[in-house]
Amino acid sequence: MSSAWRTHITFNKYSQIAARAVRNSLKESERVKAEKRGLTALRYQKWEDGKGGEQVWLNPPEESKGGQKVV
Amino acid sequence: MAAIRSIASARSLSALRRAPVVAFRRGYAEAASNEALKVSLVLPHQPLYNSSDAVQVNISAASGDMGILANHVPSVEPLKAGVIEIIEQSGTKKWFASGGFATVHPNNTLTINAIEAAPLDDFALEAVRQNLAEVQKVLAGNASEHEKVEARVELDVYEALQHALSK
Repeated sequence: MSSAWRTHITFNKYSQIAARAVRNSLKESERVKAEKRGLTALRYQKWEDGKGGEQVWLNPPEESKGGQKVV
Repeated sequence: MAAIRSIASARSLSALRRAPVVAFRRGYAEAASNEALKVSLVLPHQPLYNSSDAVQVNISAASGDMGILANHVPSVEPLKAGVIEIIEQSGTKKWFASGGFATVHPNNTLTINAIEAAPLDDFALEAVRQNLAEVQKVLAGNASEHEKVEARVELDVYEALQHALSK
């Protein structure tokens, strides 16, 4: 069955994987444009007693892309 | 397998609403009335297509391929990776979508939301074959169960793409 993934991953994850697979199948020129859409950049930190905790990347950026960029 | 799901369940409902005296009969002529189906196909980052005179829309729903005509019963269908085909009087347009939802609204409107979609011309068959081979290698190897589940999802996408492109 095609819905065998349900016991292992969420629908969000499933659609993420399927979308990535579609992007990877595009022609070279289209793929470069499309690949940027697959990136999720999010950093979060927990505040307690007025102090910010450690900042955590949701998806650690790759070093090669200058991931230490502070926004 | 293109099972065209008709509006059987809407039969009694709309017959009741429109002509309570007339017998409960609803033929194809009424189903395919002059009123054309309005369709919109959108991605999170861009609207792909908008049509106000679609004759039929073929989608690959999670429960199977289906064709939607005008005045379809309102419904929500989750999509699996596959071809979305919009047939208009003037011609046919095709996209390949990764998944999403197709919603038929009561006002004869169909909205399709996909995560990622592109015209069939934008795909490279060579890349699909290559990806397919890689995924099959993962499935045959001793990857973890989690990796294999992901690989199987990708396998479905690549197989559907290969099928769509080689037609």
